[in-house]
Amino acid sequence: MTVSAGVGGQPRGPWASTWLRMRRDRATVVAMVTLGVVLGLSLFGGAIATRILGHNGAQPFPYAVSGSDLRPTGPLTRVYDTDQTNLDDYGNLLPPPRGTKTTLFPLGADGVLGRDELIRLLDGGRTSLEVAIGAVIVSLLIAIPVGLVAGYYGGTTDAVVSRLTETIMAFPLLLFLVFATAKLNPSLGGIAYSWVVPRGVVTDALLIGAFTSFYPTRLIRAQIMTLRHAEFVDAEHMIGARDRRILGRHLLPHLVPALLVWSSFAVATNILLEVSLSFIGAGVQASTPTWGSLLSNAWGTFYSPRSHDPTVWQTLFPTVAILITVLALNQVSEGVRRAIEPWSQR
Amino acid sequence: MRYVAYAARRTLAALFTLCTLILITFVVYWSLPSTPAQFVYPQAQELTRYQLAHANDLLGLDKPKPEQYVDYLWQLAHGNVGRYWAGSILVNNTHLQQQPIGPTLFRSFRATLAIILGGALLVVLLAIPLGALAGTRIGSPADRVISIGTLVGVCTHPMVLGLILATTFGYGHLNLLPSGGYCPLLRGASDSCGGVHDWLLHLVLPWSTFALLFLALYTRMIRASVAETLPEDYVRTARSKGAGELRVVSRHVLPTASLRVLTMVGMEIGTAIGVCIYIEAAFGIPGLGSLAVRAMGGATSDIDLPYTLAIVTMITLVVIIGNLIVDLLYAVLDPRATLDSPRRVNKGMVGGVM
Repeated sequence: MTVSAGVGGQPRGPWASTWLRMRRDRATVVAMVTLGVVLGLSLFGGAIATRILGHNGAQPFPYAVSGSDLRPTGPLTRVYDTDQTNLDDYGNLLPPPRGTKTTLFPLGADGVLGRDELIRLLDGGRTSLEVAIGAVIVSLLIAIPVGLVAGYYGGTTDAVVSRLTETIMAFPLLLFLVFATAKLNPSLGGIAYSWVVPRGVVTDALLIGAFTSFYPTRLIRAQIMTLRHAEFVDAEHMIGARDRRILGRHLLPHLVPALLVWSSFAVATNILLEVSLSFIGAGVQASTPTWGSLLSNAWGTFYSPRSHDPTVWQTLFPTVAILITVLALNQVSEGVRRAIEPWSQR
Repeated sequence: MRYVAYAARRTLAALFTLCTLILITFVVYWSLPSTPAQFVYPQAQELTRYQLAHANDLLGLDKPKPEQYVDYLWQLAHGNVGRYWAGSILVNNTHLQQQPIGPTLFRSFRATLAIILGGALLVVLLAIPLGALAGTRIGSPADRVISIGTLVGVCTHPMVLGLILATTFGYGHLNLLPSGGYCPLLRGASDSCGGVHDWLLHLVLPWSTFALLFLALYTRMIRASVAETLPEDYVRTARSKGAGELRVVSRHVLPTASLRVLTMVGMEIGTAIGVCIYIEAAFGIPGLGSLAVRAMGGATSDIDLPYTLAIVTMITLVVIIGNLIVDLLYAVLDPRATLDSPRRVNKGMVGGVM
């Protein structure tokens, strides 16, 4: 393969050649660019859109909702820029006083309150990604030490860990989440840090992270078990390296490729799990937009689904946002795997 | 004989898992604060100490904890899944009148089983031709369309997918199919609908949702397996004997893939039940999943212990028995397989279905 020779005859390192292989994979490049755009839009899009449109995602606009059946307006409509309602004696919505300015709703309104769907979608992306990435970090923090110890030392620790993970993985994950959110939410729900980390994000990330940590634990354990008797580990023992050094300096780097693949895959799963949490009615506070809460606002929760028939737009925009992000993450995960193990089948 | 010995060993291991999960449920229950006396005296605002003690006695919670656990297992061994705490009626201040959990549990189990089995059949029926088509033409436009197209189902939330299907095809828009509810296959006295026709009609959309979710995983696996098998010698031999493309793929290539599919099915039974929770919520089917959500979540903070235990037991049993059947089938289909060697298929990672 021509990949091995770099500039000036220096052989490329494994990371550089992996990166090169990834750059040559067109689908993966497209997916990475897409992810970059999604990330950028989620981080800054809300603020920029607020500046341009002149309203933010939390302001309710009574005139963005039809008066009779409380259905939100569709995309590209201009609505009266006021939060005062002008009702007649029967409670019907009348046009506002003359001279009231209008403001643009590019993707329509989000529900009965009439908030801007576009800005909520952009802000919601940030919250959803915070939860998804946070959960991956949490589960790696649990899985790495547990998996390393179980795989390296074996014996009783390993037996306990593997039995426990097997038992728990046999059971549907969602039920744990339902149970945990119903019983634990009050004690963890209050953690927040201004608008950067809205209320409930930490709870969601901790719960999802804790209950999804079983898969990487098994992954790490299996890899360490095969590496434990490798020659370089024996050599380490021979020169008197302690277990901590072997694990941290010599075995951990071997896990990076597998964990990288798993992480991007897990972010995708976690985005969908966050939607599930919203459907359970747990999740992030209802006033904070996430992709999940946008959908559950439209469709109701598990306990009371379909409070009303939502408009097509209310479902379409969050679903497409999730679809694009999850597809891109899957493709990146696949691309990383292919670039790391070019010998595996496509 | 070796199958019998293997089945016995596996059953023992499965029973151990079941006992562990029940123990975990008990431990979690004991460690969470709750006032079960509320179930016995639902009207009482403030419970007296006598009432608390009396209720604990009636519910059997004043016994030592190991005894409660062993008692439950003993009852379970006799096929008794227990009675609800909720809705208990105190009779003469001496004993409780409680509803048995069994009938509801088994009825909802049948609904869930119908969704899973029918859905799995649909997945297999769709995934085999799609996977074979993509696998024989890797990199072609057809392959790309199939690979991306099946992924779309996985990348949408199952609940949303179900709701979209329900509102689109159900009553209200296209009026093609019932948008929710469940009709049992065998109509009972209290059922409003039933019979094969109603049953099928009500399950078409849940099955489609199930299939859309799992299609990507299985299509990918069959595709990979077909692509790996095509260069094998025996495939070339079959070709050189003059077998047509269709015969080569269906008789010589696909049987290899079937083993992988089987292993995968065994690994995914828990996931399938998890997915059923969404499907049941979206279509309003009273199945095991919706029963479980009501038992574990719900608005009340008090946990109905027997109800929760019954759900945990039922789901675990489904997973365990399903796994057992798959493993035995595998041993029968692949005589080379040593029964105890672990079979790990590389679960072609697709982020989405959980």
